[in-house]
Amino acid sequence: MHKTPLFEIHRRLGATMGEFGGWDMPLWYPTGQIKEHLAVRETCGLFDICHMGEFLVTGKESHLFWDRLLTNAVTTMSDGQAMYNFMLNEEGGVIDDCILYRFDETRWMLVVNAGTQEGDYEWLKQHVIGDVTIENIGPVTGKLDLQGPTAPRVIAKLIGTETIVDLKFFRFIPEVTIGGVKCILSRTGYTGEVGFEIYCHISETVKLWDILMEAGAEFGVTPVGLGARDTLRLEAGLPLHGHEIAPDIPAVGTPWEFAINYEHEFIGKDALLAKRGHFFVYPFIAEGRRKPGAQARVIANGAVCGEVISDIIAVSLGKKPAGFVRTTCPLETGSVVTLEGEKGTRIEATIVENPLWKGTSRKKMATFLQ
Amino acid sequence: MSYVVPSDLRYTKTHEWVKDLGGNHYRIGITDYASKHIGDVTYVSLPEVENTLRREESVCVIETVKSSEDVYNPIAGVVVAENSAVLNDAPETINTDCYDEGWLYEVKASSADDYESLMDAEAYKKFLAELGD
Repeated sequence: MHKTPLFEIHRRLGATMGEFGGWDMPLWYPTGQIKEHLAVRETCGLFDICHMGEFLVTGKESHLFWDRLLTNAVTTMSDGQAMYNFMLNEEGGVIDDCILYRFDETRWMLVVNAGTQEGDYEWLKQHVIGDVTIENIGPVTGKLDLQGPTAPRVIAKLIGTETIVDLKFFRFIPEVTIGGVKCILSRTGYTGEVGFEIYCHISETVKLWDILMEAGAEFGVTPVGLGARDTLRLEAGLPLHGHEIAPDIPAVGTPWEFAINYEHEFIGKDALLAKRGHFFVYPFIAEGRRKPGAQARVIANGAVCGEVISDIIAVSLGKKPAGFVRTTCPLETGSVVTLEGEKGTRIEATIVENPLWKGTSRKKMATFLQ
Repeated sequence: MSYVVPSDLRYTKTHEWVKDLGGNHYRIGITDYASKHIGDVTYVSLPEVENTLRREESVCVIETVKSSEDVYNPIAGVVVAENSAVLNDAPETINTDCYDEGWLYEVKASSADDYESLMDAEAYKKFLAELGD
């Protein structure tokens, strides 16, 4: 398993470690997953996300390159903008979900998931056009996520309120120095709360972690593991590759249609158009405390029509069981289905609108800095 | 990482502990190693009093925020008590006090054979060291 530069810090803090995407990562610290989840919703959490992959792409034709490979309206992007995308295969399945950053028309960064980055790199290289060059900067890039309502105050303390007060959702500052560390500061995240994804040179990640923990102490910052990252993202209505989106399932009928712009020709477009109506993905919430279990069958109107693809206890929603289902039949919001687990447990769940939790992620930055 | 391993208990490779209450009567729970590795417990489904349990049968399910873990019964016998009084309202007791307040259930066995075959504290500590985290 790969280790990030923060591995010793996690061990020293007493983290329970686990494997994710080929990396030895903290699942939770002695605080525990529930308290870590709540800390992100109430104050802020600091995540080691060095395991994710990053590619630097340059070239005069790079905007055409992205236009072909990615599903969203990338040609409308401006300098300093980030955009969420799917990268599809010819069958409309999701090779990866990713965030594209535009520095300028000929300079971009693509951020991808940890376990898929090698396959992503091969796919990018196979589809190079013109003078596009692709550099795998993952091995030299560290990434820390600072997420939660007090995160803006932590960053303002370090680099000045005026530097971030006008930073909008899905926009980034390409170069800023935080405590002496050169960083890309992006107002993006995977938790549903306001916050930042901060990229730096791998050799400075430990220094950056220490700087953020120290500056954040008065604002309640706490280290948060991948366990809480999953419950936070699911409540916030965000997909996890391998669960809600995957290479072998066409990305149709999902709550993330906003990531697909059909006005351009991208790889996988024809497959998506052909497969519309074949699959649907919905969030659900249930009463009680028992979870249905992964791959529990979905029974609607007396027939099996799908399966559970993610399930958690929704910490911010009264600890109710919640998750996503994938079905072959459309379901109305508010309809009740039965989820039947492997061991025969049957749970009634309600199909609801995405997201389950509306957090602070899109609020005006100034509101957090008063 | 070091884990709490009380010296007066016996242990299984699947991280259950067993306390000898005398007269072939045993109390069962999961160890500190297990409770730290499964995460925050949200629900426990316990075997019922008077159920007959086989050895290594999965008789109890501990659900956490992210997963669901089976407890493998270490002592064949009849269930004589279970701790729903605490664990129904406070399942997280398994995380905070796995050896005491967070016990799961008790069985009455017909002999001490199953108990005698379990690892003692020293053997379990060695087993944990070999797991390497």
